[in-house]
Amino acid sequence: MADAPVPATLVDHYLRLQREAGTAVDRFARAHDEASGSGGPSPTGRYSALMPATPPGEGQQYAFEVDLDACSGCKSCVAACHAMNGLEDEESWRDVGLLHGGGEGAPVMQHVTTACHHCLDPACMHACPVDAYEKDPATGIVRHLDDQCFGCQYCTLACPYDAPKYSAAKGIVRKCDMCSDRLAEGEAPACVQSCPGEAIRIRVVDANQVVEESETNLFVPGAPEPEITLPATTYRTARVLPRNMIPADYYSVNPTAPHWPLIVMLALTQLSVGAFLVEQVLGLVAPAALMASIRPLHSASALVFGLLALAVSVLHLGRPQYAFRAVIGLRHSWLSREIVAFGLFAGLAVTYAAWPWIGARFLSGGGAAPPWLGWTVAGAGVAGIGCSVMVYQFTQKDFWNGWSTGCKFLLTAAVLGLAAAWLSLMVTAAWTESAASAAALERYGPVLCRALIAAAALKLVFEAALFRHLAARSTTSLKRTALLMSGALSQVTAARFAAGVVGGIAMPALVLVSRPPAGEDVMLAPFVAMLFVACLAGELLERYLFFAAVASPKMPGGV
Amino acid sequence: MLRQREGHLTRDLVRTPGGFGLGQVPARHKPDATADLVCGYCSTGCRLTVHLKDGAPVNLTPSPGYPVNRGTACPKGWEALTVLDAPDRATTPLLRPAGDAPQRPVSWDAALGTMVERFKAIQARHGAGSLAFLSTGQIPTEEMALLGALAKFGMGMLHGDGNTRQCMATSVVAYKQAFGFDAPPYTYRDFEESDVIVFVGANPCIAHPILWERVLRNRRNPKVIVLDPRFTETAMQAAQHLPLQPKSDQSLLYGVARILIERGWIDAGYVEAHTSGYEGYAAFVQQFTLDRAAADTGLEPREIERLAATIHAGERVSFWWTMGVNQSYQGVRTAQAVIDLALLTGNMGRPGTGANSITGQCNAMGSRLFSNTTNLLGGHDFGDAGDRAKVAGVLGIDPAVIPHEPSWAYHEIVKGILEERIKGLWVVATNTAHSWINQSQVRDILGRLDFLVVQDMYASTETARMADLVLPAAAWGEKDGTFINSERRIGTIRKVASAPGEALADFAIFKLVAEYWGCGEMFGEWESPEAVFHILKRLSAGQPCDITGIADYAMLDERGGIQWPYPAGGPPVAPGAERHLFEDGRFHHPDGRARFLFEDPRPLPEAPGERYPFLLLTGRGTAAQWHTQTRTAKSAVLRKLYPDDVYVEINPADARARGIRPHARVEVRSRRGRIKATAFVTRSVQPGQLFVPMHYEVTNRLTDAVFDPYSKQPSYKACAVDVGPV
Repeated sequence: MADAPVPATLVDHYLRLQREAGTAVDRFARAHDEASGSGGPSPTGRYSALMPATPPGEGQQYAFEVDLDACSGCKSCVAACHAMNGLEDEESWRDVGLLHGGGEGAPVMQHVTTACHHCLDPACMHACPVDAYEKDPATGIVRHLDDQCFGCQYCTLACPYDAPKYSAAKGIVRKCDMCSDRLAEGEAPACVQSCPGEAIRIRVVDANQVVEESETNLFVPGAPEPEITLPATTYRTARVLPRNMIPADYYSVNPTAPHWPLIVMLALTQLSVGAFLVEQVLGLVAPAALMASIRPLHSASALVFGLLALAVSVLHLGRPQYAFRAVIGLRHSWLSREIVAFGLFAGLAVTYAAWPWIGARFLSGGGAAPPWLGWTVAGAGVAGIGCSVMVYQFTQKDFWNGWSTGCKFLLTAAVLGLAAAWLSLMVTAAWTESAASAAALERYGPVLCRALIAAAALKLVFEAALFRHLAARSTTSLKRTALLMSGALSQVTAARFAAGVVGGIAMPALVLVSRPPAGEDVMLAPFVAMLFVACLAGELLERYLFFAAVASPKMPGGV
Repeated sequence: MLRQREGHLTRDLVRTPGGFGLGQVPARHKPDATADLVCGYCSTGCRLTVHLKDGAPVNLTPSPGYPVNRGTACPKGWEALTVLDAPDRATTPLLRPAGDAPQRPVSWDAALGTMVERFKAIQARHGAGSLAFLSTGQIPTEEMALLGALAKFGMGMLHGDGNTRQCMATSVVAYKQAFGFDAPPYTYRDFEESDVIVFVGANPCIAHPILWERVLRNRRNPKVIVLDPRFTETAMQAAQHLPLQPKSDQSLLYGVARILIERGWIDAGYVEAHTSGYEGYAAFVQQFTLDRAAADTGLEPREIERLAATIHAGERVSFWWTMGVNQSYQGVRTAQAVIDLALLTGNMGRPGTGANSITGQCNAMGSRLFSNTTNLLGGHDFGDAGDRAKVAGVLGIDPAVIPHEPSWAYHEIVKGILEERIKGLWVVATNTAHSWINQSQVRDILGRLDFLVVQDMYASTETARMADLVLPAAAWGEKDGTFINSERRIGTIRKVASAPGEALADFAIFKLVAEYWGCGEMFGEWESPEAVFHILKRLSAGQPCDITGIADYAMLDERGGIQWPYPAGGPPVAPGAERHLFEDGRFHHPDGRARFLFEDPRPLPEAPGERYPFLLLTGRGTAAQWHTQTRTAKSAVLRKLYPDDVYVEINPADARARGIRPHARVEVRSRRGRIKATAFVTRSVQPGQLFVPMHYEVTNRLTDAVFDPYSKQPSYKACAVDVGPV
């Protein structure tokens, strides 16, 4: 031990000293006021050269202007945006990426700082189902109304520039507002103030010029096509950037976070709509008595899946208590339209499904719902699926283009609708034990089975066709998707195709080739239930890949 | 309900005038006071204004009025407060009971008692010199001085060194030999006043962004020249980039000197009046013909001639070097080859000139003068009886307790452990097990110690995890003191936050160790950091770094920091002044002359060959990363600014030849170890060279423990490796 015993109080003394937070502050803190500052110019005067002399006039707006030649890649703007706006732990509304290219011995590196481009035609604003975005008529700043947002995150999918950022903690999206409070007082935005190279400025731009530059793709290499949203930011350079400039993350492919509620919602709404649709088509050929026998169970279960889908979709919202706000974007937002269409579908479907149970009691004309109602339900459902397709088509991602998404969604409706109808037929036959049902099963079971095999095979071939992009020399966005599905997501891909082949082709084919003795088709009910589950699992996995494997155009990223 | 424009979510982002000259601030974080601190990362020495609310820090912004950074900071500075709140802060002393048992929390009393008991037992068995310390450029000067004095004068240690050995030892020796004192001659304003700015082995855009800002403020339309094997961010901005072969700098600089001499492009008057050794130098560089320089460097002869012509044409030429020069097996002579050019052309002592070393850590300069390791406190000489008597007199101690020899250098201490001459080690605020060269070897060596004490703000560093005893330290922002930046500017840091748990300022820990050791009385006057500052002033009296004219911390704050020298009774200096040295051409050698120093370049210690055909360069990755990342990895914002996993830059030609696809996983192998990394295929590295950032834990498994013979600085940027797909 120590030569001389030391009183433990010395440790206590230093611990006490260490805990006194106030002393140093009282000793050192300068209570200087605005006028004296710390000897330096005020934030207003200091950056006057980086600020416009006059506010925007008619046909003009504020915009960021980036001098690429002055950006050396320190990324202070990212940290300053975070600190000066009091954002969450990892939240910043600015990012910095890297472009590289050039020839041997003459390489070129160019860092690219990017934030919201306050577009002339903002995709976020058009996409938003609750009108939580507005483009200020005087300044052109695209503002997000945080308390209006209900956290659907659709804007994060719609913006080509990854500008709106979702906060799971807050349940809403937030984004750059060009520090409008600061601008209003003549102060420079955080990023402008913080850039050591003075590479970021605020400028007044003419809308016509932005359109012209966007149409001629005068933006920045590696960025998404500017003509989609007409970004107002200008990237200036006195140099000529080589043609082969690519983002540093050009070859990196990473899965996107999947949206589970959307996966379930899409698959189940399509199941529900498909089931109603198959029922209507079957009604065209099958005897009315048969339809009357399967309808109560079939419509009810189709309805349950549909309602389940809508319930799950609400879980996707950061603030589900405001789900009702979704109706207000009907005039411009495909998401609003999707929600309204499926709401209508659900309402009609409830009426339709309840008809056999309630209608018999309160209405003359017996238990059968009028055929027009059935077609209306199916029609509303198809319209809903159409809106779903447009929701993704609107984001301008190759993997989500309207044609491919439409095929997928409708084929999902077909596969699951056919499987569901077949299962309903079988369960009804087993339940009622009536000869008519058994006969109907024998007559229409194989038809549904063959249709299922055809739809499932078509869909799987369609999906597998994506892998042709692996042969592409350049890393297109569809090649990225194919790389993801065959690489990082290969297990999911394998499971998806396995489930699809087993449930949609192998098991139905087995039923066809090894038919049980006449009248005993009902024995197959558990088997068909299993293949239905397999089909459903396959479609859910396909939808998982739909989200996880999508490659979005984006601003250049880092190494 | 349907439409809501206001509410708590909107209010969360409202900005409001912050007062204190801050402009608008987040309303939630509107301060009721502010305090200014010099940043605790690099040697640029920016000042940050911490926003305080109810006595606690809530935010910070760079100080607008400070002459160094004028309202800007790099991402590390912006996030300086965030990293204080990490969950892996050391909050209590941790003791390993025995062997491989896990560390367990103990009281300070038990921790200090055990440390003293174990250290004294080691000294009793193996001699006083069997204890050593490894310190840092990250703590205030006052703490360094206390540690150095305590360890050597109080505890009888002979050997202690700092992680500064890894960053600026080369500059120290180069200056000392050339100028007679370790005196970086410049001020940052020289960046703004040069016509030609030559960067040698430096990438300020990434390593010192705020210094690059000073270059951008130059209104003389300067020509920026970059000597670097890599096509760095700075090289992109240069008027001329010379991508010379690694470690061929001397051949290039001597070759340029030969051209300058041959064409009469030298300042003969300056050479005659203020230097010595010119004849030998002029004769020596004759062998570096244009052909030889071109062959050694791999550059086109006309590029070398162009460099010479640009230097000649510039009225004010400044030369700046950083780690590309310092971290080399021949760094001292390379740095001196730079100094030689400045002397030869008379680019010294005038605005916009100088041979200028940009230092690494926030207080490397403090360490150079006051760590009591290589130099006796205050830039004195352990071997000089007069210096020992002077220091003993100032400190009121017996001169006999002052060792007669400087400490062993870092690698000699490591070797001492291997040779069982060092048995106990005290590591303060550095992360040897990550940052030291040839990492697997040094981890093995640290494991052989009888007792390893690690004093750090995080209990999670690679070195702390190996420790027998962890002492929890307060961080920057949780204590007082001063830093000295690259341009010799002394600025204050102060306590604006309380430390977590039982963590204590390093100053308090040293004081406690002194008491427990039984030598507390020796440090009676060292009662607070500011009290120590007054001792340091007295120690500096009469030295080139004389700071006796600085009254106190308050004066440092009012003046916007003060550069040394600032002797009492010296000429008046305006607040915020920016001063360079040697205006009168008088250097610190007894004859007042600067020395031309030169030597034959030496071959690569581990040249690429058949099995290991690539040369590995290491260095800084991004401006958001600091050294071994113990701090910068704790900020979520900073983590967004660099790749999570280690990557290796490889030229497309090499990648093709090795079958390496962009972004594929590869293995990099050296004779010492192998690592897995992601391939970043880029022309920013030349064929035959690879670059791996130093911040990742695995990088130093590859590097080769080779050192400059004069500065003992490790040569991190030249070892042979191979690379291939995983």
